[in-house]
Amino acid sequence: MLLFIGTIPMGSFAQKNETVWFDGLARSYFARDVIGETLEQDTLSAKNASNGYNLVDLNTHINPIENIEIFAQLRIKNQFGSFFGSGTSIDVRQLTAKGTIKNKVRFSIGDIYLKQNRFTLFNYNEDLSSYENNMFKSYRDIIHYENFYTQNRWRLQGLQTDFSFEFDRFIRTLEVDFFITRPRGSTALSNTTYSSDLLLSGGTILSKLNKKLTLEGNYINLFELPSSGTTNISVNNPVYHSALTYLGNSKNANFKHTLQSGFSERNWLHSELPNGASDSTSNSTEGLFFEFENEYFKNDSTLKITLGYRYVDPNFRSAGAQSRRLNFLPENTNTIYPMYTNSSLTRPRSIFDLLTDETLYNQDISSNLMVFNPIYSNVLPYGDATPNRNGIYLKSQLSTKRKNLVSIINSGFFREVIGQGTAYRRNFILLKGAVKFNLHKIFSWEKQMSLSVSSENEITNRLGDSIESLSLNSHQINVFLSTEIARKLFLQFAFKQFYANGKEFLTQRDNYGNITNFVLTNFDQKDQLISAGISYMLRENVYANIQYNWWGMSFNDQAYPNYNYRRLLFILSVKL
Amino acid sequence: MSINKNIILFFLATICFFTCTKRDYEGPLLTNLYGEFEIIDSLKISTKTPDFSSNELVKFYCKLNKDIQWKITITGLTSNSVKEISGFSNTIDSNLIFWNGNTSQVPFFKQEDCLVELTFNNEPDTLRDSLSILGNKIYDGILVADFEDGLPINSILFHQFSMNMTFDTASDQALVGNTYFKMGGRMGWNEWLLGQLDIPLDLSNVNSSAENFYLNIGILSGINGEFASDQFINILISESSSPFNNDPSNNGADVFQDTMEVYKYQIRPVDWIGWNYLSFSYDQFEVKSMGGNNSRNPSDISAIRIQCQSCPYASANCPENINIDVRTDVDFVIFTENSRLLDQ
Repeated sequence: MLLFIGTIPMGSFAQKNETVWFDGLARSYFARDVIGETLEQDTLSAKNASNGYNLVDLNTHINPIENIEIFAQLRIKNQFGSFFGSGTSIDVRQLTAKGTIKNKVRFSIGDIYLKQNRFTLFNYNEDLSSYENNMFKSYRDIIHYENFYTQNRWRLQGLQTDFSFEFDRFIRTLEVDFFITRPRGSTALSNTTYSSDLLLSGGTILSKLNKKLTLEGNYINLFELPSSGTTNISVNNPVYHSALTYLGNSKNANFKHTLQSGFSERNWLHSELPNGASDSTSNSTEGLFFEFENEYFKNDSTLKITLGYRYVDPNFRSAGAQSRRLNFLPENTNTIYPMYTNSSLTRPRSIFDLLTDETLYNQDISSNLMVFNPIYSNVLPYGDATPNRNGIYLKSQLSTKRKNLVSIINSGFFREVIGQGTAYRRNFILLKGAVKFNLHKIFSWEKQMSLSVSSENEITNRLGDSIESLSLNSHQINVFLSTEIARKLFLQFAFKQFYANGKEFLTQRDNYGNITNFVLTNFDQKDQLISAGISYMLRENVYANIQYNWWGMSFNDQAYPNYNYRRLLFILSVKL
Repeated sequence: MSINKNIILFFLATICFFTCTKRDYEGPLLTNLYGEFEIIDSLKISTKTPDFSSNELVKFYCKLNKDIQWKITITGLTSNSVKEISGFSNTIDSNLIFWNGNTSQVPFFKQEDCLVELTFNNEPDTLRDSLSILGNKIYDGILVADFEDGLPINSILFHQFSMNMTFDTASDQALVGNTYFKMGGRMGWNEWLLGQLDIPLDLSNVNSSAENFYLNIGILSGINGEFASDQFINILISESSSPFNNDPSNNGADVFQDTMEVYKYQIRPVDWIGWNYLSFSYDQFEVKSMGGNNSRNPSDISAIRIQCQSCPYASANCPENINIDVRTDVDFVIFTENSRLLDQ
């Protein structure tokens, strides 16, 4: 099945008996931020600031009867520096009931984590996070955990059920899955106006026709119920998808060919029920996608190559697959030092903010394409479901048998299907690569030592006259060195630099997703993050980490002054 | 294997069925947003001596290199009347953009010379031309009163006898023609009503609904750059079928009594200097007295009352009005069907 229902993975220390058992997570977090040396004075901001908290998420699993489980997650959180009691909060963070009916039909009600495929329902990774190293794992873990990001699934509230059949002729299996969720309830827009309920429903049917051939169909629809609010306009966005997969093998390797295609519709229904007139629709769009992917992987996992072609129509709209994690709305300001200099300028966002600020992230399905920043992700800002893209891609994973060396390459050459604001189309080049040297294996050392280097480069250009032509180049480099100085105690050093240079047009859209304006923006900036620290790994998912970060941004020929900050961070994270 | 082939064929057929996007680009053209503005063909006017009384049109043409917000402004050099036509396009199409002699803001155009200006948003370029009106536009409508021949026949005038009362026709500042009706003065005691003019009507031939039936009226306010605070006009419309008789006990026609079917629209405050021309549809009138079916039916209209009121300075209601006369003069009162007068 493509859908997955569950909660945060459970640790091996969970307490368990026949009817009630517990697991969860505990975290202590402390950060102290300091203004670094800059040319522009900032006497309006605190020279340094600290904050932190302790929290415990206690997961209670209750089995009142066989095949039924009630799951509740309670959060107890205490901010550092607050008076006992006043700074403590207790929340119910998750509630789920799940079980199996007559050992045949599984169901889940409440908080569920859903994923279909990359074009219908998929929570793509955030920008610039592909080749993160262990130095920043503690930051990234918090962002993912606090925003319920797990394995590219969207956390939703609703009902899900699945069941399967096995056959002895014609086809081998048939698996069926349905869900209906409510991403947003009716909310007050004003004293007298209420938005409608937003629902997301869908289903998957997957059949193994024989040993080698699998056929799959997916349907998903994001829609509003006009009768549940006072506004008479409601969105409707169904997406249809089908895929055919052929699995083959040779003596030492397997290969997989996947052909998938589908199309979407989106419109806004104007209900005229109160006026007795007939309903109408507006801003209707239809778009298709097509992908042909070929995968080759060796049985010993030393090599995996993926080569594919993808076409996504400019009008393809799939809310479940095109909603972004990073929310770049202007009102979403930085948490750390949001203003800087004595002119109280809004501090431009840096890669450190993307890495550490959990409030910049989104947990909701959006019916419109969300805003993105082209310097962080211009080639595929909405993942593989990015509309208006046509091109080929090549991915590979290569490692030695003893894992002395592990490398990953991800490349793509895409072109817009139609231009934006001009008949000329953008060309995109994506080049990402990472290599990890396990030095202790190479040199047969007892204690672990590794060096990781990654490079992520995106190039965008467009021909045309002086107005239409553009060129944008962004590049991120990661270097990470980790050495075990005592048993399970690691000394770590990391360097991250992000560079963006060029010209691009930021797209502005109206409430129906139509492009209304292009804002010419010039970029010439450099972000840097240097980090050193110690990590004590008691076991996987139980660690203490202390690190010091030097971070900042510098601008060339731009209106913003450079800035530098420092941070001392301590995290103790325990998964029960 | 035949099943596999069929499935693959199905996939290929599915792909072929759906057509791809055919447009060349999405969003506004960058050259429109960021390109330099150029005038390809200068402003052309179809006639420089229009006779609007015979339904002649003045057509405009201009060709530009990009879509832009443009505005044609026609100014009467004698009347100072102004007509504005605006749009967003790269061509001012003479089939779509024309002038029939109407105005955007009163006074109305006369037989006069006019200045024509074409301007563009955020661009310094201005194209100028001129024309001369040979005949004025004739507006379609049911005239209630233009006061050219004095008060309408059988109308009933009432006004208080306090200070500087002006309830009479005058010729010094007419909006249309040569004469208008003055309504003003100053109350010396605690009384809001200054006076009113009741006019009998017969609109039995009208077929429009209340939503499409408009009352249009010109109102002149202000003396020496000042106006009395909270001066206003009540317009009452009667659908009573009773005879239009003077009722001395009611200071006006008896069809406006509280037992009759009467609707009211209030223009409050009248707080501008000079002429202002207003229009409102009949369905905007509220029920004043429930003497009928409360269904506004233009063909049943039998009389109209134009009433001048103001907050008196007496009894400390509006002490600031002690030295200011009320002025709510009116001219060119006309009903129109399907559109407001200035939209014709």
